[in-house]
Amino acid sequence: MGRVVTRAIFAVLWLIWLAPVYLLVVNAFRSTDEYAHASIWSPPHHFGLWANFVAAYHSAGLGGSLYSTALYAVVAPAIAVVVGALAGYAIIALRLRHGFAWFVLVFGGSIFPIQMLVIPLFVGYAHLDLYDHRPGLILIYTAVSVPLAAFIMRNFFTGISYSIYEAAVMDGASSWRIFYRIYLPLATTACAAIFILEFTFIWNDLLFGLTLSQSDSVRPVMTALSSLLSLYAGTTYNIVLAAMLFLSLPTMALFLCTQRLFARGLSLGQIG
Amino acid sequence: MTTVQAGRGPILAAARPSQGAPRWRPQPLLFASPAVLLVVGLLYAPFVWTAYLSFTSYDGLNPPQWTGLANYIGFFRDGILWVTVSNTLMWVAGTILLPVGLGLFVATVTYRSRWGTLLRLPFLIPYAVSGAGVAVVWGFVLQPHGALNEVLAFLHLPGGHASLLANRPVNTVVMIVASTWQQVGVNALLFLVGLQSIPEAPLEAARLDGADGWRLFRYITWPLLRPLTAVVVGLAIVASLKTFDVVWVLTQGGPGRSSETLAVTMYRDTFVANEYGTGSTVAVVLTVIAGIASVLYLRGQLSSRRTVEW
Amino acid sequence: MGSYTRLLLAAALAGALATAACGSSSNPSAAPTTVPTGKTGGETLSLYNDKGQWKQFFTDIGALSKTQVGSDLNPVGYTDENTYQAFIKASLRTKVKPDLFTWATGGELNSLASQHVLADTSALWKDAIGKGYLSQQLEPYYTVDGKQYCVPLNVAYWGMFYNKHVFAKYNLQPPKTWSDFTTILSTLKAGGVTPMYQTSTLFTFVWFEQLLAGSNPDVYNALSTGKAKYTDQAVVDTMKLWQSEEAAGYFTDPTVKDQPQALLEKGGDGGVAMVPFGTWFNTSMTAEGQKPGVDYGFFVIPNVNPALPKTSMVFETGPLCELASAPHLVDSLRVMNWWLTPDAQQKWAGSRDDVSANPKATISDPALQEVAAAAGSGQYNIVDRYFEAAPPPVLTAALDAFGAFMVKPSTYMDQLNTIQKAADQYWATNK
Repeated sequence: MGRVVTRAIFAVLWLIWLAPVYLLVVNAFRSTDEYAHASIWSPPHHFGLWANFVAAYHSAGLGGSLYSTALYAVVAPAIAVVVGALAGYAIIALRLRHGFAWFVLVFGGSIFPIQMLVIPLFVGYAHLDLYDHRPGLILIYTAVSVPLAAFIMRNFFTGISYSIYEAAVMDGASSWRIFYRIYLPLATTACAAIFILEFTFIWNDLLFGLTLSQSDSVRPVMTALSSLLSLYAGTTYNIVLAAMLFLSLPTMALFLCTQRLFARGLSLGQIG
Repeated sequence: MTTVQAGRGPILAAARPSQGAPRWRPQPLLFASPAVLLVVGLLYAPFVWTAYLSFTSYDGLNPPQWTGLANYIGFFRDGILWVTVSNTLMWVAGTILLPVGLGLFVATVTYRSRWGTLLRLPFLIPYAVSGAGVAVVWGFVLQPHGALNEVLAFLHLPGGHASLLANRPVNTVVMIVASTWQQVGVNALLFLVGLQSIPEAPLEAARLDGADGWRLFRYITWPLLRPLTAVVVGLAIVASLKTFDVVWVLTQGGPGRSSETLAVTMYRDTFVANEYGTGSTVAVVLTVIAGIASVLYLRGQLSSRRTVEW
Repeated sequence: MGSYTRLLLAAALAGALATAACGSSSNPSAAPTTVPTGKTGGETLSLYNDKGQWKQFFTDIGALSKTQVGSDLNPVGYTDENTYQAFIKASLRTKVKPDLFTWATGGELNSLASQHVLADTSALWKDAIGKGYLSQQLEPYYTVDGKQYCVPLNVAYWGMFYNKHVFAKYNLQPPKTWSDFTTILSTLKAGGVTPMYQTSTLFTFVWFEQLLAGSNPDVYNALSTGKAKYTDQAVVDTMKLWQSEEAAGYFTDPTVKDQPQALLEKGGDGGVAMVPFGTWFNTSMTAEGQKPGVDYGFFVIPNVNPALPKTSMVFETGPLCELASAPHLVDSLRVMNWWLTPDAQQKWAGSRDDVSANPKATISDPALQEVAAAAGSGQYNIVDRYFEAAPPPVLTAALDAFGAFMVKPSTYMDQLNTIQKAADQYWATNK
């Protein structure tokens, strides 16, 4: 009985969530002519997706570099996951003194409103010659990703039996070895979740990319997208949506590829 | 009593961690130092500038003039304070209720389901969509005579002809719904990580005792999910206090400042009105509130070690 | 690994170069007093702008610039005007400096000019006015303490874009008088067509500005100098008129999220018949695939008060600027000088289907050509757009207040009091 109700509620939610997705997709597929007069709910009659994307590419110049964007979105979360895991490991497994205080210090990095950080960051970057350089962008993207990574990893590690750590110490393993041979492999799904979240954040980021770079080879590709919405020479919504749909494909692919990781259970207590 | 994190088997018999104060070893700090350095160097340092500006009058061009606490006094006397604080509190309450609650629901229903990936997909897609896309799609949905009006009218529910973005507090409520659409997938993903880390043993034992469905969830799964629940709720508290993007793209805090949140007020004062001092003051107040809220919440959640009796 | 070392080396080198460039141009008084002619050294110049959506237009004009004066342009677009301005101001304190950048006239230009950070363009202006490339009328917008700074990036006249198919259906003509205009409003409304577009985000001032400038331009101008109050009878009457039009249902819901160009194209089919905007809106309309003169037209909105000698027309202009400490000081001036020529303006205005600051550039759209020519010959009473005319703190308060008014038109007096409070505060410290 309870199961039926649960499933019914889930089905309703599923449909509700799909409705805006449907709106997004059908309107991205519409040609500009059709978009002007058709109801937003009606399915598209002509396949305009590719033409729309080309229009977006040319009119707003989806400049920026796809390569740079991918570089930031992959490298920064990868570093952040390891850095965050190291912090979590130090606090939980190595029993870092005043661990909670150190943890709050790291997590505290996420409480600042980032809109206020970009201008002082720009000034600092200009002084340190990090402005308009890829390592500079990787650095800031890593830093903003660390608090979340540290938080998730810290809490995930509380679920790993401390006796595992102690047993490994008795076997003579070094702290470093215990980290990368035992703790990190156990946390594969947590790492994947962090990576997905940070990848998506960086892939879609406008603020840092816009303010800390100027050349097309360093600027992330997303920076042009929101300009399409401007009232001054704005582009019609079907074109905006088409560009957006294309640019969300890598994130979608990442979601689909990693879903297997979330499908199977793993029992932490069984390792030993 | 058995501690869950101890699992079972021979490891259980291993010595309990020594409870005495550990000797000072530099190594643990070495492991934590990259995180500390990155965060302090790139996030704390720029904020020091903002904190300094909150005690000044500054237009971004002329040198800042020290004004002491004037900005803070002005902030607490500003007529908009009540609107922006109450809107922000609505965001906090709404975000803990909707995206967190629904995220947990989606995770538990789809966990170990054969069609898990497919079932979760509609909840994950919105997160992949950039802010500009959310603005356009929810513009379709929320605008006058928009998709939501149509649905409400079709179902003969009130609000079919209402202008959803025009008035407080409805405009904030519907934007919370839009934000929920985007956020549920993230929370579901984090809860999945938590569900996976739950050992089989307590679940099996509870099942043998005849627990199922709701009781199993309430007494076994829910307590064991606590580390990840703390993550999801902790992130939700901080993120909702800082709510900016959705509001900015849909209403820019309007009409007539009616949907401003603290972060929008901060942005408006700093970048639109060019009063960096006033905006920085809001930023500092916001940061202090977020800091206190997260420390209070996390201390309660993290200090006690996770133990479950069963 | 090798590429990384190279990257670091390049970074170090770039730093050294930037420092060197900074050092060589640290003397801002080096700005030439004569117009620099001839070709540039050929370096690509960066053009920072808050008009990210114009990237293609900047790129196209950059190509022309390369062939005609030697330097290409690299547009660095921002999408948010507010953070863009903060960024440019912050860059003054660093060694990262744009060659050229877009800005805003009015208070924003004054604040940079009074800091003595802008390159003096007086010689360029004198030369261009002499050649007939710029009109004398434009000079005050770019003058601070007797000197000119920057050159016009764009100019725009404000009027009404209307859907020709809808007008034809209801047998309507562009209005000559205010009573013609009110007839149009009531006819459209009776026919079930929403007459006019309005929005509660950013462009909330449009109709206020139009009504007040068309009924009492002196009071409108006096508001921006603090000599009139928002609670004066003329202003209150304007708000009452606006309120009556809101009550009559002549406007769209202010929270509408559809784009105005899409609404104007739809016309009677769930859209609007008219959109009151600047001539730059033409770019959006042609991008929509609409044909000027066939699908839509443009008219100058008649005065509310028929006794006024000239029709008031709102005008805006945005500057293209150079810092006194710009990396390529003289070459950037060369490009700015070239920018004013008919060749450059033809390309720049033509690609956007907009009007040009240079009267010698011909405009592709006949309706806009006619308006620009008439404005140039002094046929209209030109008033400054509210966005540039109002002091920034007053503007910020007013944009919010007008937005609140649109949702609850009966609150017009509260809104005026709110704006006046901000004005009182501003004028108390800025005479």
